Amino acid sequence: MGWFGGSKAPKSDWSALSTVIKAEAKLQSLGEITPSRRAGIIYRDSDDNAFLQDIETELNTALYQGVGATKTAFEIKDDDRGMRWIVLDDGKFDDLVSSVYTVGNAINANGAGDKLLAAVFELYFTGTVEDNTYRSSLCTYWIYRYDRRAFYPFVPTGESEGDRDRPTEARLGSDLRRHGLIVEKSLTEWMGLWGIPF
Amino acid sequence: MSSTTTRKFHKDRGLVARMYFTMVMLGFLYAVFALFLLASGTPLIFIGGIVGVMLVVQYYMSDRLILMSTGAKQVSAEQEPALHRMIKTLADRYEMPMPKVAVIDTAIPNAFATGRNPKNALVAVTTGIQQRLSERELQAVIGHELAHVANRDMRVLAIANFLVTLTSFLMTMLFWNMLFGGMGGRRSNGGGGIMMVYLVTIVVYFIGQLLVLALTRYREYGADHTGAEISGDPGALADALEKISGTVAKIPDKDLRKLQTANAFLIIPAALKGQGSMNLFSTHPPLQERIKRLRELEQRMRYGLR
Repeated sequence: MGWFGGSKAPKSDWSALSTVIKAEAKLQSLGEITPSRRAGIIYRDSDDNAFLQDIETELNTALYQGVGATKTAFEIKDDDRGMRWIVLDDGKFDDLVSSVYTVGNAINANGAGDKLLAAVFELYFTGTVEDNTYRSSLCTYWIYRYDRRAFYPFVPTGESEGDRDRPTEARLGSDLRRHGLIVEKSLTEWMGLWGIPF
Repeated sequence: MSSTTTRKFHKDRGLVARMYFTMVMLGFLYAVFALFLLASGTPLIFIGGIVGVMLVVQYYMSDRLILMSTGAKQVSAEQEPALHRMIKTLADRYEMPMPKVAVIDTAIPNAFATGRNPKNALVAVTTGIQQRLSERELQAVIGHELAHVANRDMRVLAIANFLVTLTSFLMTMLFWNMLFGGMGGRRSNGGGGIMMVYLVTIVVYFIGQLLVLALTRYREYGADHTGAEISGDPGALADALEKISGTVAKIPDKDLRKLQTANAFLIIPAALKGQGSMNLFSTHPPLQERIKRLRELEQRMRYGLR
């Protein structure tokens, strides 16, 4: 973010993903955000890819072995729209972000980068929402799209497609951008994920 | 500009400095231009006459002209009691007399204020904006418009606009002069000299327009700031701007899983596009920038950050 409105494209998933750590810390210190322990990576499963076929073993290696392993708990879930989720659980937000990166990076390195759709962080937001009432612990998702290398907030209000609190999302989005998160500028790309399985 | 009223709000100093700089630059530009015209032999009385008439018309008639051109109808307290009450409350906070109130019957959401000083002010809102905004948001929009009145933006802009209008008029006159060989008993001056006058006029007009637009934008930020300080709720105007501009409606109904090809190798850095040069020419600053500043102000007020 500069004075002239121009900023550079993130060079890697890490340079984009890591901005969530600072933004989350800042908003948490202001009392607006409480992270849940959960995050998920959604991807399209493929029979042709050996890594994806053996995902449990591969994740055990990626997350539990070696120096500095985050040892984040994980679970594989299929949703009702034909997608597979790796649900991560970690009480330390920094580790949760690292693990999301590690998993995505491993999938990418094993030739399935084009199967990755998004990484989703679950956080509780405290603030004024659409109908101008103050809500504490409103469940929000911060979606990171791999194809755009950018985040956007998602606040579903129901299970069916299109049920979302747009004004709150817009407000949260500008809040997050101000605190350093790389936020998707084109609002038409802020596509939702209804029925997140965690 | 006179500042005889005592104000409970303080101004954004950087903003004020930039506004004055723009005004000084504008004044300087026109002084140079007037000297140039004088040197080229344009009759002084002729210039002076036009200046006088146009200044009077623009200064004293502008509110009526605006009412006529926008189709705004003045409404009484009986016709629009709620609107009158809201504006009265706000006017009291600004310590200004109750302005005239007008309504424009159109679905397009908009609002404006006019009047050369707080005593002659008029606030107009469209029926579209009344329907679409919540009371808190409408209050913020009207607060912004009253801030224009309190800051005497109409007067400043009328003068600046007048100068540019005058220049454009003279430009046309000179062009005519060049084509048909002079009016009145002007001595022939040679084609080259007139060509020079013409070119200089164009340049002056162009730069003048840019300066007026820049001035308008600073005034717009200034009114946002003043309105927010008076209401203590900068978020309300940001919400209203988001709602009116329809940016929020761009957030889609679509599920991400319906996106057919998620291609990790095709990075479109949409998060990072430059703003382009449209900024320079638009009278209102980009909405995103205004909303961003209001949100920052909101944070500062909420947490007492500096």
